[in-house]
Amino acid sequence: MNAIEIRNLSKKFGSKTAVNNLSMTVPAGAIYGFIGENGSGKSTTEKMICGLLHPNGGSMKLYGRDYTDPDVRAKVGVLIEAPGCFPNMSVWSNLMLQADNLGIKHSRQEIVKVLKTVRMEGAASNKFKNCSLGMKQRIGIAMALLGNPALLILDEPINGLDADGMRIMREVLVDITKNYGSTVLISSHILGELEKIATHYGIIRKGRMLCEMTAEELAASCRTYIALQTGDKNKTKLLLGSRYSRVEEDESGCIRVYDAAESEEVVTFLYQNGITVSEIWRDKIALEEYYIDLMHEKEGRSL
Amino acid sequence: MQAQLTPKFESPSLYKRLKGMLGVDFYRLFHTPMFYIFLAVAAIIPAMVLSMGGMEGGAPLYENTWNIIAADTPLYIVNSIADYSNMNMVFIFGGIMVSVFIGHDYRSGYVKQLFTTHAKKKDYMISKSVVCAFAMACMCVTYLIGGAFAGVLTGASMKVNIGSLLIAIFGKMVMSLGWASLYTFLNVIFRRYFGISIASSFLIGTGIPIIGAAALIGNRSALNLFLYGSSVNACLSSNIVTLGTCLAVSVVWAIIYNVLGTAVLANSDVY
Repeated sequence: MNAIEIRNLSKKFGSKTAVNNLSMTVPAGAIYGFIGENGSGKSTTEKMICGLLHPNGGSMKLYGRDYTDPDVRAKVGVLIEAPGCFPNMSVWSNLMLQADNLGIKHSRQEIVKVLKTVRMEGAASNKFKNCSLGMKQRIGIAMALLGNPALLILDEPINGLDADGMRIMREVLVDITKNYGSTVLISSHILGELEKIATHYGIIRKGRMLCEMTAEELAASCRTYIALQTGDKNKTKLLLGSRYSRVEEDESGCIRVYDAAESEEVVTFLYQNGITVSEIWRDKIALEEYYIDLMHEKEGRSL
Repeated sequence: MQAQLTPKFESPSLYKRLKGMLGVDFYRLFHTPMFYIFLAVAAIIPAMVLSMGGMEGGAPLYENTWNIIAADTPLYIVNSIADYSNMNMVFIFGGIMVSVFIGHDYRSGYVKQLFTTHAKKKDYMISKSVVCAFAMACMCVTYLIGGAFAGVLTGASMKVNIGSLLIAIFGKMVMSLGWASLYTFLNVIFRRYFGISIASSFLIGTGIPIIGAAALIGNRSALNLFLYGSSVNACLSSNIVTLGTCLAVSVVWAIIYNVLGTAVLANSDVY
């Protein structure tokens, strides 16, 4: 069963089209990485799934039911932008209010459980307004986890966090997928973090879905390359460039050969031309690079 | 844990849904200083009106204490401040209170948490209307206490037909439901514009549209079909029919505004 099934979804704000004929399928149990640049329509799509925005066209089904069905939406935990908490109330009170809205029977035990999941056990009595950004994001996730949601929608939960906050958040997200068994739709700019947990991806640009793929498909699509280090980078690049169609130097100063060449072949070729290879290995481009490549490709086409 | 591939969906009854939402809204009401500030304001205003009227050698605004609660007869046309200064003022301040209360839902982002629960749009309207009506009814009580206390202090006459006074007070308290629903509706329409919400609530709460209509058509009982008209109708010469009229008008308008508010929320972007 698909947790989310969207067909030809559109949303306009005045004359501006935020989401344009978007189709999307999130299988139940997936951790779906929703990727796109700022203003690409990620948050708008997520808000429509939650029933906060009204689409101008298309259809949306959650677990086979229409998205407007409040019973389905009650099984959707949401963290969109920032958590909707009352700043002068304590973390505990805010969670209690949401538990009451959800009609949770053993709310105290459940709140203790979600606070533990997000590593916030000691902060229950803090006023929400006094919490740091990282804490607020985790409180938002705790709120979204109340009622054991089948579908969790997290909009940029890692944004603005420092390295430690990001690490904690990653651990929290891994724990959630392990312990709650929820389908997770997560949008993020931090693709390196997303790559560690996502099982499916959807890439959106200017309100349109560019492509959807599983992590395996992504791995297959991500080009492999041979990375190497030599004493004379410029000469190496020139030599390799004359033989292979795509040769680049990466940020760390390594030279990458993208054509499907064998390492031995490259080493021999360079050796015959007077260059000794000090280190060589085979690797794959990361999600972030794949995404940038894809964006450049589309940009080139649209020019 | 196994993934929730085919989750179970529950359909809680209206009672269960409302129980949760009302609980939350009442909790919020009792835990916000704003509520107590408005209760205090409601108590202070009649005291100020009664005591300030006789200052600087001027004639007191009222000779009878209970005129601070309601006029002797229904006066839709306002000729002086004395015709206007009664318990109906609670509905003006009540409008501001409702705007602040509901505006906070949107500014804090609480609505986006709320509408991802079982909550239906009509539940939201009902819950806000009931809780705000309760708050306004409480303001009526503190207004009564403040007015009575000031009456004793100023030595104004306390002579009144107790039955009519009680009917006038209950009538105005009953009208709170209609007014609260109206303000909830206005706040739903102007949910993105907090300032306009407050201004529109204040403007309508003053009863200017009905006072204007009365100036044109005179003191007609047809004006009792409207919230302000019925609120004025609950006066010191009221009888049980007046209370019945107040109840009917308040409930009918509450239903109308709840239906309209639900339709607005259902057909527009919530957040």
